[in-house]
Amino acid sequence: MDLLNNLYTGFSIALSFNNILYCLAGVFFGQIIGVLPGIGAPTAIALLLPLTFKANPTSALIMFAGIYYGVAYGGTITSVLINVPGESSTVMTCLDGYKMAQQGRAGAALSVAAIGSWLAGTASIILLMGFAMALARFALRFGPAEYFALAMMAFGLLTVFGGGQPVKIIISTLVGLLIATVGLDVVSGMPRFTFGVPQLLGGFDFVVVICGIFGVAEIFSSMEEPEGGELIKAKFQLRELFLTWQDWIASRSAILRGGIIGFFTGMIPAGGITTASFLAYLAEKRVSKHPERFGQGAIEGVAAPESANNAASISGFAPLLALGIPGSPTTAVMLAGFMMWGIRPGPLLFQTKPDLVWGLISSMYIGNLILLFMNIFLIPVFVTILRLPYTILMGFIVVFASVGAYSVNNNLFDVWMMLGFGVLGYVMRKLEYPIVPLVLAMVLGQMAENSLRQALTISGGSLSIFISRPISAVFLAAGILAYLTPVIRWAMKGIRRAYVDRE
Amino acid sequence: MRIANLIGGVVVLILGLAVLFFSYQLDYYSEFGPGPGFLPLWVGIFITGCAIYLIIDVFRKQGKAEAFFKPRTRLGLKMLITIIITFLLFPLLGFSIGLALFTGFTMRMMGKHHWISCGLTAVVTAIAIHFIFGQLLYIPLPKGMIGW
Repeated sequence: MDLLNNLYTGFSIALSFNNILYCLAGVFFGQIIGVLPGIGAPTAIALLLPLTFKANPTSALIMFAGIYYGVAYGGTITSVLINVPGESSTVMTCLDGYKMAQQGRAGAALSVAAIGSWLAGTASIILLMGFAMALARFALRFGPAEYFALAMMAFGLLTVFGGGQPVKIIISTLVGLLIATVGLDVVSGMPRFTFGVPQLLGGFDFVVVICGIFGVAEIFSSMEEPEGGELIKAKFQLRELFLTWQDWIASRSAILRGGIIGFFTGMIPAGGITTASFLAYLAEKRVSKHPERFGQGAIEGVAAPESANNAASISGFAPLLALGIPGSPTTAVMLAGFMMWGIRPGPLLFQTKPDLVWGLISSMYIGNLILLFMNIFLIPVFVTILRLPYTILMGFIVVFASVGAYSVNNNLFDVWMMLGFGVLGYVMRKLEYPIVPLVLAMVLGQMAENSLRQALTISGGSLSIFISRPISAVFLAAGILAYLTPVIRWAMKGIRRAYVDRE
Repeated sequence: MRIANLIGGVVVLILGLAVLFFSYQLDYYSEFGPGPGFLPLWVGIFITGCAIYLIIDVFRKQGKAEAFFKPRTRLGLKMLITIIITFLLFPLLGFSIGLALFTGFTMRMMGKHHWISCGLTAVVTAIAIHFIFGQLLYIPLPKGMIGW
């Protein structure tokens, strides 16, 4: 009954004219961002974040959420039509989607992606309502030790899901923590790493770092890559976008499986939508009676990852809203937004800001429905946008990033800092240091440090507080296990090799 | 890439040592619990440890990796220099005009678009920045010599 009341409250907020406009703008913008290569959801939200400083947080969040799940829809178009993923979460869609387009079935590929995304997304919202509330209720038991252990678990899971060399993931996380410590220490009031520069006393603002590390760095990286593939000229008559009965039979289980995998992967801190789509594709191939069809234009190969990435983009809000822990770079940027608006996400958010939580969740139903129609009726419009040269787009990215960084404190120092972080992000990408751990650690750094200090103050300096409390012990154990994954993998490989040698 | 990784490792090592040095000057423990130097010191220790591992790993591992400098890297450098010049000119040109000229210039330099399209985009950008950010969103953007 409570749930229905909350949903009623949510819909009465989400269905206001203003919020429908924000939702429409978000999903439309997200779809465009997904289509345009070289700019992703975190970048788009980071660039827009400073402009929403004076906006109603609920409306701004509705728009940002729309961008997030809209991007997953939009990226599919480029994956199917030019074999270039608009987003990392649609990489797997290229494998079968592009083949389908070459076989003259681009309409079916785009259609199954839209319908699968909508079905999985809507189911995910229903699950999110239950899970987020349960998670929030559970998190009410958390004290500083649990929060610190939770942050450690999130950092540890990055080494499992982050991709790349584990030591570089750890360094990236540590640099993020270091950036978070710059400025006045909130407990003692002592300046740390400010080197006498007054502008650094307040620390690095998230917006400045994110605009640089995502926005400007992405320009430098994108310029190095040659322009992507050739557009397949497909006709998009409405008739061609409808699925045949056989298509539907083949893809319905894939949508279900993809949705479930996506939902649970999105809930894991650091899981993210890209991992979800990878796992869903691999799982679908494994359960298929004809795995050899995958990569040759199998419709399940489009349905599964597309359903998964959308389900994950929605379930990622559960840890963000209920625990205040972002599961992906995009939700990390949104967490920065929460901080900018002076709202602390976590278990109490459901009680202190029910209008925000339920307005946001309800808007997802509306946004997903809008996207479904957009992806059936407006595909030709987005195909036209796909032809926009990046050389025009990059100028606008610099404009937004510069204005965004400047608007934080109205000084040029932040604009230079933003450029500095842009260069740092570019060099990190070149040297294969992942950016996501740095951003997550930076956003969670202050919470992690404060929790650690509070926990140690309570325990009189004894580290036993982290293992004597069961929830904290479980989180910490999961984190340590995650950090040890590379060692475990290496040991397993050695054992397997020894076994093969003995055979 | 091997040399780039090695240089990267050395830079991280220097960073780790610098963090250790500066955090050592902060209080590790205070009257009420861990002090402001507590976390930075541990971060410094871990960064240094990881950097040493990374440097050893560079020497241990052989094999081909992607080159650090690609044929198009110079385009990125050109872009960086253009951004720096634009930022330096902000006090003279102001935000709106400076960023508008930047947009037009990069369109011409990187995309070889027609002069007319570049010029038109620059004019539209200047007007959009001035009105959207300056007038609509009340961001007090720095003004240049012509007051924009």
